[in-house]
Amino acid sequence: MTAASQPASYLWLIPFLPLFGFLINGLSGKRLKNNAVVDTIALGSVGVGFLLTVYYFIQLIGLPAEGRSLHQSLWTWFDVGGARVLGGISTYKIQWAYKFDVLSGCMALLVTGAGFLIHLFSTGYMAEERNDGRYYRFMAYLNLFVFSMLNLVLGANIMMMFLGWEGVGLCSYLLIGFYFDKESAAIAGKKAFVTNRIGDFGFMIGFFLIFQVFGSLDYDTLMGSVREVANLPLITLYGHTASPTWWFNLIGCCLFVGAMGKSAQIPLYVWLPDAMAGPTPVSALIHAATMVTSGLYMITRLNFIYVSAPVALSVVLAFGSLTAFVAATMGLAQYDIKKVLAYSTVSQLGFMFMGMGAGAFTAGMFHVFTHAFFKASLFLGSGAVIAACHHEQDMRNMGGLKKVMPITAMSMILATFAIAGIFPFSGFFSKDEILWKVFEGWYAHGHYTGPVLNLVAWILGMLGAFCTAFYMTRLIAMTFFGEYRGAGHDPYHLTVPSEAHGHGDDHGHDAHDDHGHAAPAHHDHHAAPAHHDAHGHDAHASHGPTEVSWRMWLPVAILAGLAVVGGFLNYPESLHRILPLAPSELFSKWLEPLLYQVSAPHHGEHVPPAMEYGLMAWATFIWAPGAMLLAWWMYKIDPSWSRPKAFVAKFPNLYRWVNAKYYVDEFYEAAIIEPLKRFSAQLWSFDTWVVDGMVNGVARVTLIWASLMNWADEYLVDGTIDLIEYIVQETSQVFRGLQSGRVQNYAFVMFIGFLVFAFWKFLA
Amino acid sequence: MVNLNAVLLISFLLFSIGIAGVLIRRNALVILMCVELMLNAANLNFIAFARHSGSVSGQAFALLIMGFAAAEVAVGLALVVALYRKRDTVQVDDINLLKG
Repeated sequence: MTAASQPASYLWLIPFLPLFGFLINGLSGKRLKNNAVVDTIALGSVGVGFLLTVYYFIQLIGLPAEGRSLHQSLWTWFDVGGARVLGGISTYKIQWAYKFDVLSGCMALLVTGAGFLIHLFSTGYMAEERNDGRYYRFMAYLNLFVFSMLNLVLGANIMMMFLGWEGVGLCSYLLIGFYFDKESAAIAGKKAFVTNRIGDFGFMIGFFLIFQVFGSLDYDTLMGSVREVANLPLITLYGHTASPTWWFNLIGCCLFVGAMGKSAQIPLYVWLPDAMAGPTPVSALIHAATMVTSGLYMITRLNFIYVSAPVALSVVLAFGSLTAFVAATMGLAQYDIKKVLAYSTVSQLGFMFMGMGAGAFTAGMFHVFTHAFFKASLFLGSGAVIAACHHEQDMRNMGGLKKVMPITAMSMILATFAIAGIFPFSGFFSKDEILWKVFEGWYAHGHYTGPVLNLVAWILGMLGAFCTAFYMTRLIAMTFFGEYRGAGHDPYHLTVPSEAHGHGDDHGHDAHDDHGHAAPAHHDHHAAPAHHDAHGHDAHASHGPTEVSWRMWLPVAILAGLAVVGGFLNYPESLHRILPLAPSELFSKWLEPLLYQVSAPHHGEHVPPAMEYGLMAWATFIWAPGAMLLAWWMYKIDPSWSRPKAFVAKFPNLYRWVNAKYYVDEFYEAAIIEPLKRFSAQLWSFDTWVVDGMVNGVARVTLIWASLMNWADEYLVDGTIDLIEYIVQETSQVFRGLQSGRVQNYAFVMFIGFLVFAFWKFLA
Repeated sequence: MVNLNAVLLISFLLFSIGIAGVLIRRNALVILMCVELMLNAANLNFIAFARHSGSVSGQAFALLIMGFAAAEVAVGLALVVALYRKRDTVQVDDINLLKG
């Protein structure tokens, strides 16, 4: 930690390139008639950023493990000197500085890499917007998003992280509400923003407290002084005296509230499923690669606080495991393909927090990366499916798509294996490690003396993993297998009327939405040619979905490939003994310099217990495949879905609750939003009647006084002046005649005067 | 030797013609000329009294007044020209901007 980090002079370009892209596209995009220019700027800025990240990453690999850190300080952002902090007056100046170390380097690679692929995908997916002038706006927002996220991960202090933190919140609002002419999208955007604000409040309190305790916000300084602070006997702040651990717990809990908002944990997860109102690439960008990982990044980055805060870690573990399970069950009964993936994301984020809560920060972080691969692949794949099915999102109206879009189908099936945790795929390595670490907390080397919370969390996690495997297989079976049920082909009467999921109502989507029920003769009539040109489909488009363009399937395939092999980045030590396939625990060792060690690490021989092998084998050979086979049996073997129907008929209430996501949204609506609204209405009426009444009363008194003054002014003051003026005028009327203006009159008067004078002299 | 009274009478007549012209005529140029007449009447008076008293100082005054008159005519004509340019007339009864 104390090893000096190397300066890097072009580090600033990584975040600033997308910012420039945003500025150029955002300010001049409307005038750039050529979308190719917009594409070049948007993709180029992120692509060059990615290459630069790769360059610095390679440079980082070349450095010794303790000194793997590059930094660049651009300018002093603001000076907080003079603030009263623990132990005196602060002289701290917040720098606008970037730090490229083992963690932020990985995150930057992920953000720029996945970001680039998603940009590429968007050029295909947003084909329709390319023609109606909204396209540049979308690309500009995407770039701003990438900038904010890079600022979040590359910033060298918490303020920089906070800037990015708020930036991604803003961008998610803008992007979710991209189709702001549609009310549901606008509401979802607002919901995401407000929910995130609640989390941000906790985050702010958290880092204010950090500043109060440490007097600094730089990660390096914090990490260097944490041992010293933790050894203080007591800390007194705001008149409250407590042990450092108490304060660390408080800070940890506050920060976790922030993470709850950003990373969609119970109880603040509600915004994420609604965020599906945005365009699908946005879902991929927000849900897979970037925004939702920021809470996990923050916890890993500030692990030195959490390590010293056992209660905060327990809170993280409890909420994480609860989210992992509850969100997974919510995914079981959804029909909207994007909603399934959304709940899946919430659940997977819960797994990550579980790992962090168990103290396994690298395991949680590793799941962030594997999840980014397979979830981005799944989201982009679902986007391709939706685009191919003419903006149909209900899985009941899909089916059999494997035949027409084999590449997308293969990619998504591989990603499904990864998320379900089947052995050589990446999800197995990351999820299993998390579950093992959680279990190990209770297992305690065979003594079974750990906290019961760990056992409960582990059970919830296993159930969540079962549900995950189930709903993902269900999604694949409903979407890619069986017969295509859209466009009037519906042998089992499973389709439902679309809920007008298509965006851009002026593009003939409504005509497409009733394809499922329209008579076949209407097809060619309904297939608006403009629609097909926009999508680049061939003439068969009206008869059913077709494979999407390479710009859409290529990112899906790349990400799926990463999802397949990504697990070997952190090949577990225990498996290495049996199958030496890859260097073991690369990722954990890579992140090691970042992690705060409470005590000196013991490098003794660590024998993986037989229990670990047992649980691993159980999870990957019986548990997850069992869930997948169950889903396969229910949805694929019997294409009329009689088995799930029978199940629903047997437990109608259970189905109703799960399908309605346990009425959490309704509960929030009734318990929080409605009282808030009523309270606001009360305040509003107070404002109208009392505050405004007071103001209006003052205004009325002033008005009356002013009209009195006006009367006095008009009749007394003006009257006096008018009188004087009248007298003067009348008097001067007499003398007016003398002033004829004729020079000869004056000469004559002079002459007469002279004569009079002369006579008078003469006579005298 | 011309009688002093006769000269004074001519001078008086000249002056009277001048003042009458100034008061009666409407043309600014004519008024100027009449002013010249009045000046010259005064000149004549000066010379007559100088000759009568045998002193030269009166004649010097006459010469001075000629100079002044030349200057006055120059200024006066300039004024008249400016007036004409501005108002397109030299009739003084058309010019009554100072009327109250």
